[in-house]
Amino acid sequence: MGMKDSVFCADNSFTGKGLLKARLRIVLFFCAVLLLLALSMLLGPSGIGIPDLHSPSGSAILSLRFSRLLMGMMTGAALSASGVVFQALLRNPLAEPYVLGVSGGAGLGATLSILAGSGIFVSLGLPVVAFIAAVVTLMVVYGIASQGSSGHPSVYSLILSGVIVSSICSSVIMFLVSTASVEGMHNVIWWMLGSLQPVSSSQQLLSAALIFGALGGIWLLSPRLNALALGREMAHYQGLHADLVLVAGLLCATLLAATAVSLSGMIGFVGLIVPHVMRAFFGPDNRKLVPFAALGGGTFLVVCDALARTLIAPIEIPVGVVTALAGGPFFLIILQRRMKQAWIA
Amino acid sequence: MEQDALTFRDVSAGYKHRKVLDHLSFSVREGEFVSLVGPNGCGKSTLLKTAAALLKPHSGVVELFGQDVHRIKPALRASLLGVVPQKIESPMAFTVNQIVMNGRISSMSRWGTMSPHDHDLVERSMIYTDVLGLRDRYFTELSGGEQQRVALAMVLAQDPKIIMLDESISHLDINHRQEVLQILMNLNREKRMTILLVSHDLTLSASISDRFLLMDSGRLVKAGTPGEVLEPDVLSRVYSCDLSVQQDPYTGYLQVSGAVDGLHRRRKLNRSVHVIAGGGSGIELYRRLIIEGYEVTTGVLNRLDSDAEAARALNIAAVLEQPFSPVGTEAIADALKMIDMADSVILTPVPIGSGNLVNLELAEEALKRGKTVLLASDMADRDYTEGKAALQLVSRLERDGALGWHTIHELMLKLQQHSHR
Repeated sequence: MGMKDSVFCADNSFTGKGLLKARLRIVLFFCAVLLLLALSMLLGPSGIGIPDLHSPSGSAILSLRFSRLLMGMMTGAALSASGVVFQALLRNPLAEPYVLGVSGGAGLGATLSILAGSGIFVSLGLPVVAFIAAVVTLMVVYGIASQGSSGHPSVYSLILSGVIVSSICSSVIMFLVSTASVEGMHNVIWWMLGSLQPVSSSQQLLSAALIFGALGGIWLLSPRLNALALGREMAHYQGLHADLVLVAGLLCATLLAATAVSLSGMIGFVGLIVPHVMRAFFGPDNRKLVPFAALGGGTFLVVCDALARTLIAPIEIPVGVVTALAGGPFFLIILQRRMKQAWIA
Repeated sequence: MEQDALTFRDVSAGYKHRKVLDHLSFSVREGEFVSLVGPNGCGKSTLLKTAAALLKPHSGVVELFGQDVHRIKPALRASLLGVVPQKIESPMAFTVNQIVMNGRISSMSRWGTMSPHDHDLVERSMIYTDVLGLRDRYFTELSGGEQQRVALAMVLAQDPKIIMLDESISHLDINHRQEVLQILMNLNREKRMTILLVSHDLTLSASISDRFLLMDSGRLVKAGTPGEVLEPDVLSRVYSCDLSVQQDPYTGYLQVSGAVDGLHRRRKLNRSVHVIAGGGSGIELYRRLIIEGYEVTTGVLNRLDSDAEAARALNIAAVLEQPFSPVGTEAIADALKMIDMADSVILTPVPIGSGNLVNLELAEEALKRGKTVLLASDMADRDYTEGKAALQLVSRLERDGALGWHTIHELMLKLQQHSHR
């Protein structure tokens, strides 16, 4: 019996009708993804439609749009898959990629890097600094949470120390910004709003490798994440190395979030809402949810970016604004109708 | 020859700052149906967690089929031992079928696929527990009893050799409780599955178990057949209340019940008791005395003492003295007035030093005035006076007719006897 069968058996699909419905939903989802990706290639500040491929500027525009599509796919997939893992591990519907202080840490690193203007921060490059700061923050948060609970941090101590460390980081950022020059302030705020401006190709390659590695890790973990949904004790009774799965999951998810932040700044909303919407459509089984959420999150961000650069061209709206402003109402309607399929608490 | 399925060898275990299990030794033979009973907080759940390697013992060894449970690989352990917890919670919209499939998680392939054998086990355990009809429902939307049966199905899907149930049947309605017990008994008889059931229903457990393990404060008080363990004396001491054991005339099973003159005949006793306490040693006693219907007075206590706080909260008349000061003559006179009104005087296991030695002298005075005086035993451990003055005073009191007591249950019995005199 192959992967495919067991995946479908896991759904409410023992009747032929249910099976058909589930398959139809998947087919529709793939069609929508392809359609939206194609559409986003047609949108840009230079106009709607395929640019003239024979002119050098036309092909440059198309290749720029394509690299932004890649940036969006990578960032969106990373954030969304990371959100799935955090929600499953922390068993909390408000969990998202930044819950353990990744954004605060990365933001602080980036702010220092932008405002310092010279010295070691710049020679390393902003993305690297942001990434390192994010990972260090996670280690601090995990260390604090473990302190109080004899080496096995509870979910709540993790969330609490994450929130506290995040708040401290944002206070420091605010302080730095308030004392910075106008230009520095502008740069920091723009970075924090997030943007899919293509980064250097070496960084893209490295990020792609990190993201694919972490996504693969998460997918391998995904059957075990299902068992952890019943809590760490129950997972232990069922023969899992529960603590190992928890730590590995947190590590992969944070790696994804940190990579996404270093690629495109702090783009909110994707990592929180896309997992919920995907769960509402495809059920909470993480074996399916991880790939679907990655694909859905990537596509969503690509579409948002296409809108951001087109709506009031030539001015580009920060993509982080569009994700919540355009996506918010849309997803609210979906969740209002299908929340029961996503999360019951 | 049947081997031991689960063995505790001199196990002490618990949490970082709190030892719960205290040098526990016992074993459960393969194929036995054992009930683990004891009052709330006596360590039953901790015992299950330790048996399932969730807690590492501070000392001693836990063995599953002869192997140290901490050296067994988790997947193998799950195929030997299944635990049905008090309650499972799934925050997400998992269906019953998905929940039960978790029982096979440790034998799934790396990619999370299940073999036909796995699917058969899942299906069979759902049929066994009568949840097949619920398979497409959301787990969270089920009733508590249905959720419990799903939890049992999930654990059965592990196909374990031992099942431990942590009060898992107490939420079931009477029909499904009988049904689940029937399932467990069938598994026990037909598949020789070993069952360890934590239960508060002594009567029910007596009718189905081969053997009882009775625990109290982290220790094993008694192990044996239901008839051996369910003795009124032993149970009354462990649960510190009056319990009676009768044999059902039709089935022959033992029935445990609270004494009939327990609840509904309780009213004001018109008996009053003066308690000499301190340092928190009186709180539990105040509570019990009030529940039993006694008039309670207390003193002399220092203000801010936790017993003084408790007395105020419970509306108990108390003689108080300034904090950290020796007891003055005025307070002694007040306390003697209270003692005159009381039928009996109880001294709690309060540590005695030079500051409150006068409390023992109050007890002596009470004895002279013809009151029943009950002294907490083991004074030697609590005597901080110079020259062991307290110990000498206590032995004099005992010679003159003061009674001793160890547990509150024993104290209550003695109080009753003397109030009927």
